[in-house]
Amino acid sequence: MTTLHPDKITADRLAGRARPATESMHDPVIGDGTLIDDPGVRPPLVLNGRTFGEVTDIVCGYAENAPPRWWLPAFMTAFGIAQLGGLFILYLVITGIGTWGLNNQVDWAWDITNFVFWIGIGHAGTLISAILCLFKQKWRTAINRSAEAMTIFAVICAATFPGIHIGRQWAAWMLFPIPNANQIWPNFRSPLLWDVFAVSTYATVSLLFWYMGMIPDLATLRDRADLRLRKMASGPILLPIVPVRVDAIRAYVYGFLSLGWRFSARHWHRYEVAYLVLAGISTPLVLSVHSIVSFDFATSIVPGWHTTIFPPYFVAGAIFGGFAMVLLLLIPARALYKNFADFVTLRHIENMAKIVLLTGMMVGFAYAMEFFIAWYGGNKFELDVFLQNRAQGPYAWAYWTMISCNVISPQIFWSKKMRTSTIAVFVVAFLVTIGMWFERFVIIVTSLHRAYLPGEWHMFWPTPVDIMIFVGSFGTFLTLFLLFMKFLPVFAISELKAVLPQASPHWDGYGHGHGHGHGHSNHDHSHANHANKEAH
Amino acid sequence: MSSATSGLDTSKFVPGTIVLPDVSNDPALKRENITISGSTPSTMLLGVGLIALVATIVGGAVVSKQHALASFHVGACTALAMSLGGLFFLQATSLTNAGWSATIRRLLENMASLAPICGVLAAITPILDFVVFKGSLFTWMNPEYSSDYLLSKKAIFFTPVFFFGRMGLYLVIWWYLSRVYVARSLEQDRTGDRSLSAKTRFTASWGMILTALSIAFCAFDWLMSFDFRFFSTMWGVYYFAGCAYSGIAALIIITQALRNRGLLKGVVTDEHYHDLGKLQFAFTVFWAYIAFSQYFLIWYSNIPEETAWYVARKQGGWEYLFYTLCFGHFLVPFLVLIFRDVKRKGTALTFMAGWAITMQVLDMIFIVRPMAAINEVEAQMALTNKHIWIDAAGAIAGIAIFFGLFWRVCASRPLVAVHDPRMAEALHHKNYV
Repeated sequence: MTTLHPDKITADRLAGRARPATESMHDPVIGDGTLIDDPGVRPPLVLNGRTFGEVTDIVCGYAENAPPRWWLPAFMTAFGIAQLGGLFILYLVITGIGTWGLNNQVDWAWDITNFVFWIGIGHAGTLISAILCLFKQKWRTAINRSAEAMTIFAVICAATFPGIHIGRQWAAWMLFPIPNANQIWPNFRSPLLWDVFAVSTYATVSLLFWYMGMIPDLATLRDRADLRLRKMASGPILLPIVPVRVDAIRAYVYGFLSLGWRFSARHWHRYEVAYLVLAGISTPLVLSVHSIVSFDFATSIVPGWHTTIFPPYFVAGAIFGGFAMVLLLLIPARALYKNFADFVTLRHIENMAKIVLLTGMMVGFAYAMEFFIAWYGGNKFELDVFLQNRAQGPYAWAYWTMISCNVISPQIFWSKKMRTSTIAVFVVAFLVTIGMWFERFVIIVTSLHRAYLPGEWHMFWPTPVDIMIFVGSFGTFLTLFLLFMKFLPVFAISELKAVLPQASPHWDGYGHGHGHGHGHSNHDHSHANHANKEAH
Repeated sequence: MSSATSGLDTSKFVPGTIVLPDVSNDPALKRENITISGSTPSTMLLGVGLIALVATIVGGAVVSKQHALASFHVGACTALAMSLGGLFFLQATSLTNAGWSATIRRLLENMASLAPICGVLAAITPILDFVVFKGSLFTWMNPEYSSDYLLSKKAIFFTPVFFFGRMGLYLVIWWYLSRVYVARSLEQDRTGDRSLSAKTRFTASWGMILTALSIAFCAFDWLMSFDFRFFSTMWGVYYFAGCAYSGIAALIIITQALRNRGLLKGVVTDEHYHDLGKLQFAFTVFWAYIAFSQYFLIWYSNIPEETAWYVARKQGGWEYLFYTLCFGHFLVPFLVLIFRDVKRKGTALTFMAGWAITMQVLDMIFIVRPMAAINEVEAQMALTNKHIWIDAAGAIAGIAIFFGLFWRVCASRPLVAVHDPRMAEALHHKNYV
């Protein structure tokens, strides 16, 4: 048939060098197969029959090629908003937190709402990278990198708020139990201190997980830059006088970050082990961080705050809000970046919509339990918080915004049509983000604004400083995310390749394994399934 | 619900369009490998259960009716937890399109189908207490408390019609869901129609909501309402954690029993044990998380109306049970199950599963039994009152009846849903790490 060595043909095919010119991508009945509901079939996780070479080219291309035209304006806008937020923080530090709308009665409001909101956003990233990894959910490979990045950025935004809320921001270091001349120690019995430990542990582990996962991909970027330099095919000269090439900078920076990664089998082995260990360590973190955040409220005896379901309820809410944010980021990215939709398919969107529906109902379950037990407990004040101060009263609009956004709006995801319509999913994700912000606002402000005596009743209204610092945190978040999209590998390249059909040693080539018969059901099967079948 | 039908659009997977790998000739799925012959163990277990039940009744007649009733309730609630755990995992694996679990799906269905029966067992105590003993355990049934201020606040919830109506509703929910799942599964055995799996997946989506609500409220009714003064929003989640925990344990035990008889060779492998062990480990931690959160928040806030419940359980000998649960329900299994080899070895894992069910029993005792002591002054030191045999008899009655019925159901149909569309995947399931 051919004089070439068969291994050479296979190697060429895998590298994408010998792809057949014409190939029917879609089955007439099942389309691209993404949305097939057949319980016996695993839908393809990467579309358009991408080869290994193409995967590398596409993912590295996002970091290597000039960014799309919208990128710079978007970045400048986000950065500008972040700067504006920074200015307001500066004003706050100079003037004092009296510039916020806080008062004697409502001494926690926007700041802590924003803190809990942002901390919650991060949880989806940890869930995707840790728990879905342990559950062997292969669809996570397309979204884990960006979700983990989002986690880090959300934690950065979150950490700002308690930091500036303390009033004397220059004494923030005293949050940590550092020995000092005055023998002043933080109160170890206070959940607020546990927050410091929980959030800093969370930030550290998430950062390690994210960074460690990126090392092989950073090495790929390094090697590609290096290769272009050697071929003298490097990018433009950065400075006309000093002959620095962009690729030289890339090779240096990515090389530094990739910690001497050489793609050896030994490196991969260590990588896999470390990944699993980090996934194991991160899993309790998914639960612990927001549980401790919930302790901030639930350990108190404030009606509406003290209820035992708070820890899992906060965790479910965090995952709920986090997935909404992942969708808010990835749906536009899918539309704006070339080939992005090959990796983040409609199935991915649908799966995330299902998780939003599930966690939304968990949150709804918790709302119902709170209400029920507030009545069942027989405590007048507890019931009044729910009945008079939340469902009715001056903040009823906030409560009903929360209910309609968090409990009612995700219900449209019972329909497959809605789950697979990116516009519908985007709209619901947007509503959920609003609803989850209001959830924290409702919990914090409505419980505080009316104490036992009517003389202690006071409303909270935000000032422009409140609002602008929150808006600024969105600017920071988006700035960091846009930088990530431009400069770092947006997908885990090796993981994407592992879910391609040709990753199987028994894959039998193009045109056969695609959309028809036996091969189709094996899209998601890994090596050993096939190996085993042979053995049997 | 047009959406319902769109989820069930079977036109896209009519057999023939996509041919699944044929596993019907797999030696693991041979008839003799997946059918139980004889029901001796079932008869024996039911016999043991019956003897234990008689012993409990004798204890009630001779020693204390509260004690016997509480002990029986402990056994019934443990059995109910195991079967509801089965219902939960059956729906969860169906909803997530899990592949590895196809070979144990039938066992989960068998467990789930016991939920209504175990529900009846658990309903006996409140009915008896209401009709015969007039609130010897459930204080709110006691006429002495009818003028209690707190009880008057929640009287609507404890109207007999509403209380027993709810109870019937739980039974109907569990009966309906398990019947639908089992009927579809048996139909699939006959026809091999894989669209039935898709139908079950859809039913499981709303079935899960009903399951969550019924577990939460049956826990309120059958466990929390013993002491009508106590309340905790976590209660439903707490009982659910116990359900998942003991459900997986029961599944492991029954699987090992079947493997010991030479069945399920190549069907439920060490790889499946590994995953079951991971779930056992996960729910050990989950239970600890929920139990800790509930205890900790009540302890920290220190409000008398809530702490009273724990205070009653941290004196009079019950504190030993409290510490036993801390170590035995969490720390010991945590440290043992963390090892890979334990999860992959049938005997070791079965030992841990037996341990788990014991701990579930102790957990139920911790919740239920002090109430009998509180209500009955002369039995204040209940745990040291030499009549532990009644507790043992009550617990054994519930568990033996559960496993006896479980075996009986297993014997009545093939042990494996052979036409599960993900059977090939499950048979060749592997854990790499």
